[in-house]
Amino acid sequence: MKPPRRIAITGVGMVTSIGNHAPATWASLQAGRTGFGPIQNFDASGFSTRIGAEVKNFDFDAAVPDRKLRKFASRSHRFAFAAAEEALTDAGIRPENANSHRWGFSVGAGMMGFTFDELKNVHASCAPEGEFDPAGLISKGFSPDPIAFCRGQTNAPLGLLTHHFGIRGYATSVHTACASGGQAIGTALKAMRRGVCDYMLVGGYDSMLNPIGLSGFCLLGAVSPDNDTPERASRPFDLTRNGFVLGEGAGFLVLEHWDAAVKRGAKIYAELAGDGNSLSCYRITDSPPDGNGPIQAMQQALASAGITSDELDYVNAHGTSTQMNDKSECAGLRVVLGSNIDRVRVSSTKSCMGHLIAAAGAVEAVVCALAIRDGIAPVNANLTTPDPECNVNLVRGKSQPMRIRAALSNSLGFGGSNSCLVFRNPEEVR
Amino acid sequence: MTAPSKVVFTGLGAVCGAGKTVDEIWDALVNGRSAVAPIKQWDASQWPVNVAAEVTADNRTLVPDRKLHKIISRTDMFGLYAADLAVQQSGLLAHREKMDAVAVVQFDDRTGIISGSGGGTFRSSYDYLPLLTAAKGDLKTFGKELSNVVNPMWLLKNLPNNVLCHVGIRYNFKGSNGCITNQCAGGIMAVTECAASVRIGEADRMTAVGHDAPFEPETALNYHRLGLLSEDVLRPFDAKRSGTIFGEGAGAAVLETADDAKARGAAILGEFLGSGCCSEATGILDLRPDGDGVNRAIETALAEAGLKPEQVGMIVAHGNGTRASDASEALGIRRVFGNNPPPVTGFKWAYGHLIAASGIVDLVLALKALSQQVVPGIATLHSVDPEITLFPVSAAPQKPRSDIALVICRGFGGMNVAVLVRATNP
Repeated sequence: MKPPRRIAITGVGMVTSIGNHAPATWASLQAGRTGFGPIQNFDASGFSTRIGAEVKNFDFDAAVPDRKLRKFASRSHRFAFAAAEEALTDAGIRPENANSHRWGFSVGAGMMGFTFDELKNVHASCAPEGEFDPAGLISKGFSPDPIAFCRGQTNAPLGLLTHHFGIRGYATSVHTACASGGQAIGTALKAMRRGVCDYMLVGGYDSMLNPIGLSGFCLLGAVSPDNDTPERASRPFDLTRNGFVLGEGAGFLVLEHWDAAVKRGAKIYAELAGDGNSLSCYRITDSPPDGNGPIQAMQQALASAGITSDELDYVNAHGTSTQMNDKSECAGLRVVLGSNIDRVRVSSTKSCMGHLIAAAGAVEAVVCALAIRDGIAPVNANLTTPDPECNVNLVRGKSQPMRIRAALSNSLGFGGSNSCLVFRNPEEVR
Repeated sequence: MTAPSKVVFTGLGAVCGAGKTVDEIWDALVNGRSAVAPIKQWDASQWPVNVAAEVTADNRTLVPDRKLHKIISRTDMFGLYAADLAVQQSGLLAHREKMDAVAVVQFDDRTGIISGSGGGTFRSSYDYLPLLTAAKGDLKTFGKELSNVVNPMWLLKNLPNNVLCHVGIRYNFKGSNGCITNQCAGGIMAVTECAASVRIGEADRMTAVGHDAPFEPETALNYHRLGLLSEDVLRPFDAKRSGTIFGEGAGAAVLETADDAKARGAAILGEFLGSGCCSEATGILDLRPDGDGVNRAIETALAEAGLKPEQVGMIVAHGNGTRASDASEALGIRRVFGNNPPPVTGFKWAYGHLIAASGIVDLVLALKALSQQVVPGIATLHSVDPEITLFPVSAAPQKPRSDIALVICRGFGGMNVAVLVRATNP
């Protein structure tokens, strides 16, 4: 069989709680700086978890320069605009009339289609006693807001970003909860390999840092309640971990065919070398304790990249800092890494920037690209008492300079979707 | 080099207002029966638009497991039901039962699911209304009372990828998967991505599911405000067309290689030939009036399938009944097929616009049409829009020119997807 076409990452962009662009976020990750604090966006004082990883000092107007589009762009959509613009600028290439139909788009989309304020309006008109009466919607007191409705469509950012950047080829928007970002990039890799596009803008965006989003995770007991020590609240693989810190933001990358990227003299961060995904088919609320599910995704991704764990040097773990996820993921890593388990370095950068949900896999893909470029495995912050059941070679204390031949990134979602991506050092690609 | 194995359909399923099996829906199509009727899900008698094509089957008829209904939404129910129809028809489960334990593990790991989901609904947010009442407008109280008022499973019940999760758990299909939240294009893209997975050997067999329950009080009002809804009849390509009408439901398809299907003796229901997917780069709602996007999606599909336009035997158009979409779609089709397009039809007049499920249900019925050698007429069509010329739509049934159908699906975000399928050679 012919080896699959090689795909290069030539541009990156990020907006996170620890930096409003990729270099700033990457500098924070290397230094182990966390972005956690009391939630400022709304009054969270009554919630069991009152902390989050909020994006700070972000210019929401500048992110969407086109005023006509701006009103259609929600908070998280604007993170997507900023990170996508950064990635295209960084790549030094963008869609033009002659090739716009060869540009594709794939995004891991957040699931929130309505806002708390819109819900409050519905409540006032339709449910003063709590019971929903649709008649209130056609009463004088209520006025539908079609712009808000458009903003809430599942593929609104696809429409907005393809319009803004002039992308006229293949376009998709995916959502598999916390695996969304990884799956969006995996979908793009497959589309590029089968020749559907020559260039792709790919990534993920999300913000669930609003009363309803936070409620969803508080109800499940998935977020850390360490309100008094927010900076330490996310501690993946630590024995005392008790949930994740909810983050927000976006990550985007520009993908090109390898030979074309080399030909135009583009800087290549890494090869997007492999994609694997699986369904755990376990319980809706739980992770499989033996890693059955994540294991198949990782094995498939390595096979898709044409390498074995012998060539792997770094794993950017899903590492949410919940008891269950971290144990399940480590059980899976032990099977996949085999005799390389003591050598391969592992860290979860959610220890610094929290869990970006549908954007997590996308920002973590950017982190892997930067880790390979700079030869640095970012630190797993806040690790003081490693959990003996999470017995992998964690990057502890400070970031680790090391040449990375290949990196693997996991994204394991609610609902059992597992996504795994493999990235290779350009020097390893012949 | 050997030619890649053909990708074929071995199981199909659909549910919508027009019926809860493919045959029931087909019967409605060929007999000119539309499921569009006054809305029953809420009292819509005073509403600016009060018709839709509702699924009237009992919830427990579609998904018997009572406990499951507590953790799934209406759209998920349709998806699970349609997936079950397709999987049962494929005979995959009976095939797996004959395997030894080692082979079963391999089978499960090589069997995947991709769903196209309507995703985020207003309905899900109403679970918070009692809490808002309890909180009396105070967010602090809202947070404090949260766990006393709202179902702890709220988030998991409303995941857009729920069908993926529950179909997976039911059948233990653990392979390649995805959930496409690309509004109207989601369901049909589930089919195209499933075909790609099988073609590149990422999985041996895939189940595609597209599902949606899009009409809710708030959604209906917003569509009306945007001028997209007809108040009475959905008339694709008609001079008097006045908008679309909501439907709800799901479609599903099992795809695998022809070699595998033959080896296990499965009935082959059709072949997947190729697909194209193009954005118009026009934003959330706008369409290009010249049909550019439609034509590029069709041309991409033809190129992937290695076909010429004249080999296409019939077209199932998106035909949503809005002025702008139908006019530009017809232009896009004409740009590819010139003055001689094959017979064109559309099915939304019978079961409404199923949004995320629309493309996949259309595709399932297109395969049925090919197998019956009948292009069903558009029963609500009285006189074709004079601006839409040399476009062979008809209220009467037509005969396909060949055993190949083109299915077109368009959606918000300037999306256009075209899929080519072939009937099985008897």
